[in-house]
Amino acid sequence: MKSVLERIAIQTQHDTELINVGKLVRSAVESSAIADGVVYVTTLHTTTGITVNEELPDVEDDIVAMLRRLVPDAGPYRHARFLASDGQMAVNAPSHLRSALLGMQVALPLAGGELVMGQRQTIYFVELDGPLNREFVVHVLGNAG
Amino acid sequence: MIDFHVHPVQVAELTDLDPELEHAVRDVFGLYVKPQPIATLLGQMEEAGIDQAVILPLDCSTEHKCTVISNEQVAWLCERYEQLVGFASVDPRDPSASERLEHAVRQQGLRGLKLDPALQRFDLDSREHAFPVYERAAELQIPVLIHCGMSFAPRGRSSAAHPLALEEVAAELPGLRIVIAHFGWPWVTEALMLALKFPNVSLDTSVLYSGTPADSIRHVMSDLIGLEVIDRSLSNQVVFGSNYPRVDPKRMVAGIRSLDLPAALERNIFHENAARLLAGPGGGAR
Repeated sequence: MKSVLERIAIQTQHDTELINVGKLVRSAVESSAIADGVVYVTTLHTTTGITVNEELPDVEDDIVAMLRRLVPDAGPYRHARFLASDGQMAVNAPSHLRSALLGMQVALPLAGGELVMGQRQTIYFVELDGPLNREFVVHVLGNAG
Repeated sequence: MIDFHVHPVQVAELTDLDPELEHAVRDVFGLYVKPQPIATLLGQMEEAGIDQAVILPLDCSTEHKCTVISNEQVAWLCERYEQLVGFASVDPRDPSASERLEHAVRQQGLRGLKLDPALQRFDLDSREHAFPVYERAAELQIPVLIHCGMSFAPRGRSSAAHPLALEEVAAELPGLRIVIAHFGWPWVTEALMLALKFPNVSLDTSVLYSGTPADSIRHVMSDLIGLEVIDRSLSNQVVFGSNYPRVDPKRMVAGIRSLDLPAALERNIFHENAARLLAGPGGGAR
């Protein structure tokens, strides 16, 4: 079995946004030369998420609204203090909690060199504390065709 | 909207060109997160609704043998990004400090002076070191932003940054436009006293110690000072400053907005007061 891992950087533009990373993931899969196996898409951050959903503006708006409803911007969060190990104020508790709701990774089957996905499924990198330069990894495990 | 207090210490384009800078940022300034492309700073500004940001160098040549961003690096960024307004920094303990300041303003196009007595380790009321620099800044008609109060920098000494030491300066140099950073926290009352007494003293909002920015701003501006005092007496003497990257500008803006200030006062804090400081009289070489 072959294992190929690619790190991908993206520059996000907003505090919160869903970014379709399907092309980037497929390009990494193609570069891996692995045809059959599994693909893990994993964010390297604790204030972002990886998810799959339908790429419609209203669905994207509803996802953001849900996250903000479930985790309001203001609240009695304990993560609201100076973090000496960073040299910065750690005041982004809502970003961490929204990330916890979305999850850090999706796994997708790979067959015949193609991701096995439903017609309406889109892979999203979700920024929850931007704008920032972010990284995620595409890890392809399997056998060459 | 103008952010009067931004440290461009996380800009990867600068650390890529100057490997020494990473040491200064980590060991002197005390920021331990990875550099980010300039696009992040510009994006953070845009997300917060900030049109212009004052970016600050710090010359610590005598005490720490380094600069935490140099005047040249600030000028380099300002040449490339019109959203950025550059201030200079000189080390008051350097005998050529006044000449270096004049060069930075006249030749490099920088539009103000940043001093940090906690990190630069000079006495704010030193006749030998500080006054010649203040006098030159007054002659050049540029504003001076001075760190006052707690220093998060590991090598900073907050005791050197008590705002009361500026009383003699403000009294003796009424033409020198002084901005006390961080409301001078924890010496807010003393900073407030100076601003009330001297029209040439302003305060910036970049107060951070614990809780969210909204918590800190509310405690200082509403509970300690009183919003009615700011509205009645200091409406022309408070400027918005975020202290990025110690904290996100978007959250500092939200913190000010959460006070629900009168519209005219909020506009003064977010824009007018800083614009006046930067523009005149003779607010810079360009």
